[in-house]
Amino acid sequence: MSRPAQIDPRGARFTAAITAVLLLIDVALGLVGGVAPTLAERVVQPAFVLLVLLAAIFVWSAAAGVARNPWSVVFRRLIRPRLQPPTELEDAAPPTFAQGVGAFVTLIGVVLHLAGVPYALVIAAAAAFVAAFLNAAFAYCLGCQIYLLLVRAGLIRRTAAA
Amino acid sequence: MEPLVALAVVAALVAGATVLGLVWRAGQGRIRRVHASAVAIEGVDLGTGVTLLQFSSEYCAPCRSTARVLEELAGENPHIAHVELDVAERPELAARFGILQTPTTLVLDDSGRIRARIGGAVRRDLLSAELAKLTVAA
Repeated sequence: MSRPAQIDPRGARFTAAITAVLLLIDVALGLVGGVAPTLAERVVQPAFVLLVLLAAIFVWSAAAGVARNPWSVVFRRLIRPRLQPPTELEDAAPPTFAQGVGAFVTLIGVVLHLAGVPYALVIAAAAAFVAAFLNAAFAYCLGCQIYLLLVRAGLIRRTAAA
Repeated sequence: MEPLVALAVVAALVAGATVLGLVWRAGQGRIRRVHASAVAIEGVDLGTGVTLLQFSSEYCAPCRSTARVLEELAGENPHIAHVELDVAERPELAARFGILQTPTTLVLDDSGRIRARIGGAVRRDLLSAELAKLTVAA
């Protein structure tokens, strides 16, 4: 694996903040809209459409790197030129890992909502919101815990040479 | 659900997440003293005084800042050594010491006893004070 890019940590926080707001809106839409009785109706529910969009962004940023997340691009083009240069740069790998976790959680919500499971969309969006909010407001690092759980569950193992 | 009720649920969610964040942040870098018997850790060479054993992982931003601080502390004092391990390379140690987050730093004395444990990014001032106590007592 090539060494991942370095990013402005403020950009990662900005991306998390926008993501958190959108997820919160999705939770509200999901609560108000509930689960429609037929599949055709569920597919066009606003909360579902928004969650599909957010899941697609998570998948894209996890695959292409968080630097290519649309909100990161907005930060780089419009906001960063107006700020002081960053005092230090951050590795892009931890926030990119977090985008992957976001993709996993929101896709579960998408699938279960299609299956008509009540509150699945709301719970998935709420879980993703909590992670994004903690990241934006408290610099909480999802990769610091989830990755370790995967290691300890024996799902990830690396040799010293890697 | 009624829009007003939905709004209340959303507000509760934000409040709950805020409390969670405050609790999490308060615990970061706190030093817990440990009373343990000496342990031998394969692949880890102890320093002449205190060894700061840091567990890190690949997807962990605060691990980098913690490594920097511990490296500086080790550079300033020849009796302090800094050893950084990747949990993905040593999962058996992560399990043995019950590591639940990275970075986690164990403070070992010269005989290999764990004297303190720090979860999360270290706070330089807190750790310096703790190390001063340990090195005086040694």
